Amino acid sequence: MSARIPWVEKYRPKRIADVAGNDKAKKAFIAWLNSWVRGRPSKKAALLYGPPGTGKTSIAHAAAIEYNLDLVEANASDVRTSQALRTKIFRAASEQSLFGKRGRLILLDEIDGISPREDRGGLEVVKGLINISRHPVVLTANNPWDPRLRSLRELCEMIEFRKLGKRDIIRVLKSICEKEGIECPYEVLDYIARRAKGDLRAAINDLQSIAEGKTRITLHDLEILGYRAEQADMFTIVRYILTARTPLQARGVLSYPSLDYEMLIQWLNENIPYQYSPSLVAIADAYDALSRADVFLGRMKRRQQWSLLTYVLDLITVGVASAREKPPFKFVKYSFPQKLRILAATKYKREAAQRVLKQIAKNTHMSTRKVRLELLPFLKIIDESNPEMMRKILKSLDISKKSFEAILS
Amino acid sequence: MLMGIELWTEKYRPRTLDEIVNQEEIVSRLKEFVKEKNVPHLLFVGPPGTGKTTAALCLAHDLYGEHWRDNTLELNASDERGIDVIRTRIKDYARTIPLGEVPFKLIILDEADNMTSDAQQALRRTMELFSRSTRFILIANYASKIIEPIQSRCAVFRFQPLPKEAAKDRLRYIAQNEGVKVTEEALEAIWVESEGDLRKAINILQAAAALRKEVTEEVVYEVLGKISPKEVREIIKLAIAGKFLEARDRLRSYMYSYGLSVVDVLKMMHKELLSAKLDLNIDEYTRAELLDLIGEINFRLVEGSDDEIQLNALLAKFALIGSKSRRTA
Repeated sequence: MSARIPWVEKYRPKRIADVAGNDKAKKAFIAWLNSWVRGRPSKKAALLYGPPGTGKTSIAHAAAIEYNLDLVEANASDVRTSQALRTKIFRAASEQSLFGKRGRLILLDEIDGISPREDRGGLEVVKGLINISRHPVVLTANNPWDPRLRSLRELCEMIEFRKLGKRDIIRVLKSICEKEGIECPYEVLDYIARRAKGDLRAAINDLQSIAEGKTRITLHDLEILGYRAEQADMFTIVRYILTARTPLQARGVLSYPSLDYEMLIQWLNENIPYQYSPSLVAIADAYDALSRADVFLGRMKRRQQWSLLTYVLDLITVGVASAREKPPFKFVKYSFPQKLRILAATKYKREAAQRVLKQIAKNTHMSTRKVRLELLPFLKIIDESNPEMMRKILKSLDISKKSFEAILS
Repeated sequence: MLMGIELWTEKYRPRTLDEIVNQEEIVSRLKEFVKEKNVPHLLFVGPPGTGKTTAALCLAHDLYGEHWRDNTLELNASDERGIDVIRTRIKDYARTIPLGEVPFKLIILDEADNMTSDAQQALRRTMELFSRSTRFILIANYASKIIEPIQSRCAVFRFQPLPKEAAKDRLRYIAQNEGVKVTEEALEAIWVESEGDLRKAINILQAAAALRKEVTEEVVYEVLGKISPKEVREIIKLAIAGKFLEARDRLRSYMYSYGLSVVDVLKMMHKELLSAKLDLNIDEYTRAELLDLIGEINFRLVEGSDDEIQLNALLAKFALIGSKSRRTA
């Protein structure tokens, strides 16, 4: 396999028409560029603005190819700090294209990376560049509405790029899969597209990270992608709590934005003994706090008394970290909550078993719970010691041997 | 034709009220209802394996004859998800007119004492709403778990465990029919171990007969050894010995592979702690402490807490108490 080229580079559109979505922006951009070609530009620069991954840089690249222009590209904030780069860009912008030579397209990415507050000078450099340029200048920005960028905005054709729709993203992902020879179910593409929230670059990166080197992707691969992102965070949070130097310090994790405390409770449930072994006192204390947090959580949800949340949060941070006789700090590997993994992995099996139990329950006028507790142990003995009797029993219950084995394993 | 169920508890379940032995008083009153073709709402209470469900099914059979199934709805409160499901099923069922000369249909609601009191209140309204076209037979282990307003609307029948000789006669009859030899000591052992639960007694007999042609006392104990929850005993021992992680892993795989509810596991633990077979090397005070903990955790679970976290907290306490008890011993 060739060296790892980012797919966002490999599959950058070669023509403006191939840039996904944003038809209005594309039209405006083409009109502006054509005004340059005719020699009378409406504005010397175009400022393409909008959220990340919506095609701003891509359209400049595609235009360079389509209009046969040399692309001179720089990151806007680098132009400000590097004298060498500035000289190079200025020369490229100011030189007249000689007869027979190709024209140029100047691209300054991330213009809002220049802080207008801290450095007015940087902005002046860009404005100066636009004024002297004999070639079209393309600027990009996520947020162009800072008041201090106003004078810059006046020099530019403003072209807005919007978040991409899910369908546009899926279409691109699908064509990449085809070109890479990867078989990929629609659900996977749909999930990636939804997760990307209108950011095509993120979607392509996600696709590459689960799909590269494979010929088939399944929903299972996707789970790994999703889990990985969550795990990284949870590892840190769990370590922070379990190895806090003082109990109050553990409360620090509450400042994490969007802390999923219910998930955290599952993670602590899994990992307390790994960190606090061999101290039985510490383990028991930590579980005591955690189990009381769980009781509060239950009450909070059942009675919709959301003010109880603060006690839940106290107990899972300060409470857990207050365990007595904690062993000295050691580095341990944490693991994903097994309960969630087991429940997810055995879902279909459990459902199949429940169906069989239901059938037995119906025929014996018992509840499935009673079948499990009071009948199954005897059936197991019969199954092990007297296959003939078992065969008859199963036949009379209209249950196959295979289905029966589903409830044993 | 429907094939008979080869489980002996089903195969030898009485089909008509006449076949029921040894519940004379109950049976004779139920027969009165059949004769009058009029049945009040009924509440059958009593320990497991004393014939409550059987009596309900036999009553349905005698009332409606061969087509009793068309006029009887069997529900099990612990399998139906919530009162809404029960209500919907009852509503759908009660909408149609009963077949034959009996002017109402039967609804048998088993394990009714597994319903919360809120659900029972809702059930009471449902009973009133459909009282013209339906009669309810509620079945429960304890009358005290059924709310007063329901009890007062029902004729209550209390089922007692079969007397020893009647139970042994029944087992002897089954063995004879199945061509199985069973010794007197074996019958005695089954009687003692089944604690008045005839279903359990018959299950023990069938499992023993599956093991050996001749059922002796030894075979009975072999069966009982196999069905006793060794796993739970091992888990308690591991925890008390301070091996928390091992206990946790064992408990996890036990629960998930057997699909047991945590409350069931707690009940087994409770039983094991009181069993003479479990030698934990702890003093009586510590044992009482452990029992108290189980009660607390059970309470939290019925309040709706997360099962695994609560069980892990319990095991962690077991481990701690076990280690302290060793230190002082």
